[in-house]
Amino acid sequence: MRLAAYLLLATILLAGCNGGTVDLHALSNDSASIDSLACEGALLANEVADGDSLGPFTRVHAGELGTRASNFEDALSERPTTPGIERATRREAEKAGRIAALLDQLATADSEDAARLKSRLEREGDCP
Amino acid sequence: MKIFQIALGILAAIGGFVDIGDLVFNVAAGAAFGYQLLWVVVVGVVGIIVYSEMCGRVAAVSEKAVFDAVRERVGFGAGLTTLIAAQVVNLMTLAAEVGGVAICLRLLSGLPYRWLILAAIVALGLIVWVVSFDWIERIFGYGGLCLLVFAVAAVKLHPDWGDVAHGFVPHVDTSDTLLYCYFAVGLLGAAMTPYEVYFYSSGAIEEGWGPKDLGINRANALIGYGLGGFLSFALMITGGALFLGQEIEPELLGSIAMGAQVPLGQVGLVLALIGILFAVGGASIDTLFSGAYNLAQFMGWEWGRYRSNAGAPRFTLTWLVLLVLALGIVMTGIDPVMLTEYAVIFSVVALPLTYLPILLVANDKAYMGRYANGRLANVLGATYFVIILAVSLSAIPLMILTNVGQS
Repeated sequence: MRLAAYLLLATILLAGCNGGTVDLHALSNDSASIDSLACEGALLANEVADGDSLGPFTRVHAGELGTRASNFEDALSERPTTPGIERATRREAEKAGRIAALLDQLATADSEDAARLKSRLEREGDCP
Repeated sequence: MKIFQIALGILAAIGGFVDIGDLVFNVAAGAAFGYQLLWVVVVGVVGIIVYSEMCGRVAAVSEKAVFDAVRERVGFGAGLTTLIAAQVVNLMTLAAEVGGVAICLRLLSGLPYRWLILAAIVALGLIVWVVSFDWIERIFGYGGLCLLVFAVAAVKLHPDWGDVAHGFVPHVDTSDTLLYCYFAVGLLGAAMTPYEVYFYSSGAIEEGWGPKDLGINRANALIGYGLGGFLSFALMITGGALFLGQEIEPELLGSIAMGAQVPLGQVGLVLALIGILFAVGGASIDTLFSGAYNLAQFMGWEWGRYRSNAGAPRFTLTWLVLLVLALGIVMTGIDPVMLTEYAVIFSVVALPLTYLPILLVANDKAYMGRYANGRLANVLGATYFVIILAVSLSAIPLMILTNVGQS
């Protein structure tokens, strides 16, 4: 039973481990996740601009997306990187910071501001 | 009157089929792979129909629920292992569902999350304490029917129906085979999650089923879970049609609600949030009861909602303790969606321990007499057991290799 408990703990730690050095694969994954947050924010901004959202929903959901973007900014601006990708990693951190700020604005935006934020989020996230 | 009763049961089963695991895995699978994994939902739904029918039949004929049978059939040691695995997964699922209820309430009200966790726990405790079993089933089952908004949303998003149809044929059209397999395992786990059969068989005893009710058992399992699977299709199609093209990874319950908001506006958003609230709230109560049923049945205590709370004191104390433990877990600030993913994957690991005793008992002529499994039930049961075994062995390695579905 004790062995099973250790295995379970090790599994959770291994699976959940997201710290340490940023390599190219991790940077690529994080970059896709940051773009995803921006694109989802743009989608939400579009609904706000059209008057198709609810105040609490916009505030909470945009806030959650913003927090996630902000977490990426913190992680990517501090974590060590493998050689050759440090500048790209820090650039990605700055982008995550800009997206977090836009999402924070979206949380309290009216429909006119939301339309403006939508295009900025789409640009930042390189949304299709 | 009997048809009316069956219809009510089926409606409740449709609304009650989807829980936070189904919501997360179906929409995320759609966003990652489009409609490619629809066939896995079919496999999962047929599996839960086969085993629910079996354990409902065992309950109706022997008047014994799953854990009674587990203890009698596989002995104390193996039974205890099954119990521990079931309770760990149950508690993780319960915490995730309670967190889901609080998130939904927050998306609707904007109030602080931790206060809403407390409110959710108190509300669930009061409902379980005061409301009868029948009404709990109806309230949450019918409320969960609001999730049908995702079926309308799926149509309004104009998916390529040819691609949708192709999704029902097993195929792998991706370079990320590991992630595809991870989602396949997660979808199977979400559809066949063990608490569903514990709850189903104990509910059959609560409602006093006997051999005369085997028709209702079959109808509830077949039509209820079958149509419940329809909601899973709708969620995956919505995820594929809305998020895949926009390169969005939906990781929040709010993202799932947007699946109805974008095509249907405010009405879609409100219906989606209410549907998710009732589906996840109902699943919280199912898992809470399942945990208390399992322990009470294994220990041979008095159990059941048909007794008063004081009439089954250790059963009542068990669900109260489980509720407090779930509160403690969610209050740590753990992300309920992430917890759901772990709960589903670990439930997959525990699947063989749950389903093997059901298969053995349902096939035992000494136990079941003329109601023992026929050839079809045995073939399906054995086939599914092999699938379950393979899936349970691959679940943890896949979780590690894909970093919990991140790559």
